[in-house]
Amino acid sequence: MRYPLAKLLLAFFFLIGSHEAVFAQDFPPAPNPPRLVNDFSGTLSPEEMAKLEQKLVAYADSTSTRISIVLLGSVGPYDISDYAFQLGEQWGIGGKENDNGILILAAMKDRKVFIATGYGMEGVVPDALAKRMINDLILPNFKMEAYYEGLDQATDWIIKLASGEYKAEDMVSEGNHGGAIVMVLVFIILFVVLPLLKNKKDNDNHMGGRGGGVDLWTTLMLSSMLSGGGRSSGNFGDFSSGGGSFGGFGGGSFGGGGAGGSW
Amino acid sequence: MKKFLMSIAIIGGFLILCFFLVYIFFNPIGTYNSFVQAEENINGQWAEVETQYQRRADLIPNLVNTVKGYADFEQETLTGVVEARAKATSVQIDPTQLTPEKLAEFQQAQDQLSGALSRLLVTVENYPDLKANQNFLELQAQLEGTENRISVARKKFNESVMEYNKSIKTFPNNLLAGWYGFAAKGYFEAAAGAENAPKVEF
Repeated sequence: MRYPLAKLLLAFFFLIGSHEAVFAQDFPPAPNPPRLVNDFSGTLSPEEMAKLEQKLVAYADSTSTRISIVLLGSVGPYDISDYAFQLGEQWGIGGKENDNGILILAAMKDRKVFIATGYGMEGVVPDALAKRMINDLILPNFKMEAYYEGLDQATDWIIKLASGEYKAEDMVSEGNHGGAIVMVLVFIILFVVLPLLKNKKDNDNHMGGRGGGVDLWTTLMLSSMLSGGGRSSGNFGDFSSGGGSFGGFGGGSFGGGGAGGSW
Repeated sequence: MKKFLMSIAIIGGFLILCFFLVYIFFNPIGTYNSFVQAEENINGQWAEVETQYQRRADLIPNLVNTVKGYADFEQETLTGVVEARAKATSVQIDPTQLTPEKLAEFQQAQDQLSGALSRLLVTVENYPDLKANQNFLELQAQLEGTENRISVARKKFNESVMEYNKSIKTFPNNLLAGWYGFAAKGYFEAAAGAENAPKVEF
């Protein structure tokens, strides 16, 4: 134990490194552009996927509640429930404020399925109801390899249960567009116009050097103040992920609600 | 010219000294605050863990009553659950005392209850009437959901403890942490098993 600190640091780096490696291998990255229906196992036909996607996107647009379906081969060493919560959390299914996401995860080779409810959906779809939905709608259909029908009926049922619970948030309001333009203008002035003016003045004295350091500092300070204080700061994420028609996954969180079964 | 350079050097040195002093003065405050924040975060996660364990404890009387209705049900298993529940609810931890030893004690009591509960659920397999009872099925679903919530809460608790422990054990924070009296906190241990780990397939 001659270098306890160094060992500790090493241990931590190892821990962090191995953690990330596990995450990277075991969980597919969130689809880009975002899609609600993701079939990694090749079970559903393209038409079936499109139909489900259309229904769920329409529902997400009108209520902001995201119901996502993921089919994959096997969850390996994970409990299907554990895998579902972690996947839902990593993708951020559901809005950040309401946590109103639902993930229907099926591992085709394990013949296991799980419905994970985000924090905000636990009241709408309590565990006992989720269990009943699994037992009554999904498992009987999945046993007959009617995967699309099972998923279609289950999502219909969730939509009926959750109707009226959350309203669509106005994704990008008019005012924020204006805010973005103003921000861009301010940036142009700070980074381009001001340095030009300053340099012109600096060249009059004979200090050598261009005196750019001060400019950099002021711009950095001002820009950080601006971006910190602006109320539109939270919306930049939405802009970047806005490729999908439903506005992307919203950063929702999962606390362990839901139920599962195997067929 | 030389004089000019000298004054530049003096002013520069003075500025660096000022920054250094300000840094020495403010850095501990920032570090202290970050410790406090990390600790608060842990307390929040701990409250969630306790809530979920409490939720499980609250479900048990209902479960026991439902099962009791079946006259020939093994009394041994039932009393095992009732006793383990009493013991588990008696072990409470003050959030300021989340030491590894205390946490191990808490976990042991709760794990005993988990064991007793799973024995009960296995025994139920021998009672087809009970297994078909709607009331029992709902309770079982709720119990499963609660177990899932417990494991998620424990995982999130462990993550926030790891953040905290990492921050108080690394240099130079470890010096300050010792000074202010921030001690490392305990983790929940993972359940045994999962030796022959299969592969994840997308």
